[in-house]
Amino acid sequence: MFLHTLNPAMKACTVVGLVFVLACLFDPVTPLVFTLFTITVTLVFGRFRKRVYALYLSAFTLFAFGMLWTTIAFADTPSQPEETIPLAGFLFPKEDVLTALALSFRVMAFAALSLLFVFTTNMVHFILSLIQQLKLPPKLAYGLMAGYRFLPMMKEEFDQIRAAHRIRGVTEANSIKGRFKQLKRYAIPLLAGAVRKAERTAAAMESKGFTGERTRTYYRPMKITGRDWVFPLVMFAVLGVLIVLSFQLDYFRWYNGQF
Amino acid sequence: MKNWKLKEIVVLSALSVVFAVVYLAFLPVGKLLSGLFGPIGYDFIFGIWFIVSIIAAYILRRPGAAFLSETIAATIEVLLGNASGPLLIVTGMVQGLGAESAFALTRYRSYHLSVLMLAGIMAAVFSFIWGYFQSGYAALSGGYVAAMLIIRMISGALISGVFGKAVADGLARTGVLSSFALGRELRKKRAS
Repeated sequence: MFLHTLNPAMKACTVVGLVFVLACLFDPVTPLVFTLFTITVTLVFGRFRKRVYALYLSAFTLFAFGMLWTTIAFADTPSQPEETIPLAGFLFPKEDVLTALALSFRVMAFAALSLLFVFTTNMVHFILSLIQQLKLPPKLAYGLMAGYRFLPMMKEEFDQIRAAHRIRGVTEANSIKGRFKQLKRYAIPLLAGAVRKAERTAAAMESKGFTGERTRTYYRPMKITGRDWVFPLVMFAVLGVLIVLSFQLDYFRWYNGQF
Repeated sequence: MKNWKLKEIVVLSALSVVFAVVYLAFLPVGKLLSGLFGPIGYDFIFGIWFIVSIIAAYILRRPGAAFLSETIAATIEVLLGNASGPLLIVTGMVQGLGAESAFALTRYRSYHLSVLMLAGIMAAVFSFIWGYFQSGYAALSGGYVAAMLIIRMISGALISGVFGKAVADGLARTGVLSSFALGRELRKKRAS
C-alpha cells in the first residue's frame, strides 16, 4: 500500500510541516475539512486494523470535545459581546464559540495526521530513515532503538518487582499517602533495572564492533524516489486549496491577537 | 554528541522511555484536575512533565542531556498515541530547551538543588510561552493566565527540581550509576 512504502522521513517531515501550517489557522472550517480529508487518505491508502484506528480516533474526538467546552467556559471577555449563539439552553458569545471550535478542530486535525503516521510506519524503518536521510548521528539513533526495545520489558519488570514485594510481605497500599510511598518503592528498582540493562546493552553493542561512525553500511538502505514526493505535494496542495477557498468564502482568519 | 559514551546514550534513551510512560500515565490525572479547576488544573502537576530532563542532566551532566531526553520522551509519547500529535514533539523540545538553559547558565558546572529548581522553573516558563500561542491561552482572561504561569513555575521547581533530584539520588544510592557522573560524585563524597 502506498502509505506504508513511503519514505518515513519524508512522511514525518510532511506531517510536521502540515501541523505548522495548521497551527497558524484560526478558523474552524479549514481544519475540519482537512481532518476529514486526512482520515479518508489514511483509510484508503493505509492497511491496518480499522477497529483499532476507530478506537484511537474516538478517544481523540473525546479529548477535542473536552477542549471545546473548557475553552468556552473559561474564555476571555469577547470584543463583541452582543453577538451570541444559543447552545444547550445558554447564550454564548459567538466569538468564543468560534474560537473554541477552531481550537478543537485543530486538535482533531493534529490527531488525524499523527495517526496517519503512527498507523502506517514501521518504527525501525523510521529511525533508519532518520539516520540516512536526515543525518541523525548513528550513535544516538541506535542508542534510541536499543532504549525503545526496553518498553515492552517494563511491564514485565514491574510485575516482577510487585511480586517480589508481595512475597516479602509488603502489602499494597490503599491510602493516598501509602500509594505515594509505594510509587517510590517501585520507581527506584524499576529505574535501576533500566539503567543496568542499558549499560549491558551498550557493552554488547560495542563488543560487537559498533563505533557509531557515519561511514557504516546498512542492511536496509532507505531511499527517496520520485513517488515519495507525491504525498507532500498532494497534502500541501489540498491544504493550500482549502486556505484559498476560505479566503474566497470569507471565513478565513489569520491569528493576529484579535482575542 | 561525539564525546558521549554509547552507554550514556542508551541510558538516556532508557530513562526517556520510562518517563514517557510516566508522562502518559499522568495525562488522565491532569485531565481530572482540569475537569475540576479548568485549564489551570494541569498546571498544578505540570512539573511532572519536565522531570526527565532534570534527572537526565543531573545524572549524566553533559550539555544537551536535558534537551535530548525531553525530546525523546515526547517522541515516544507520540508513538504510543497522544492526541496532541507531532506538535507534542515540539512541546518537548521547548520544555527541554527551557531546562537546558538553566544548566547552560552555570556552564554545566553546578548541579546544586537550586540549579535543578531553576531548570524546572525555566522549563515552566518556556513551555508557558509556547502554550500561550499553541494552545490558545490567549483566549483566556488575563488574571487567570498569570495564575497559571505562577502555579506552573512552582510546580516545575518542586516536582521536577526537588522530586527529580530525590529520585536521581535514590537511584545513585543503589550503586547502578557508579560509572556515570552522579555516581562518581557520590563515590568521591563517600571517600572523603
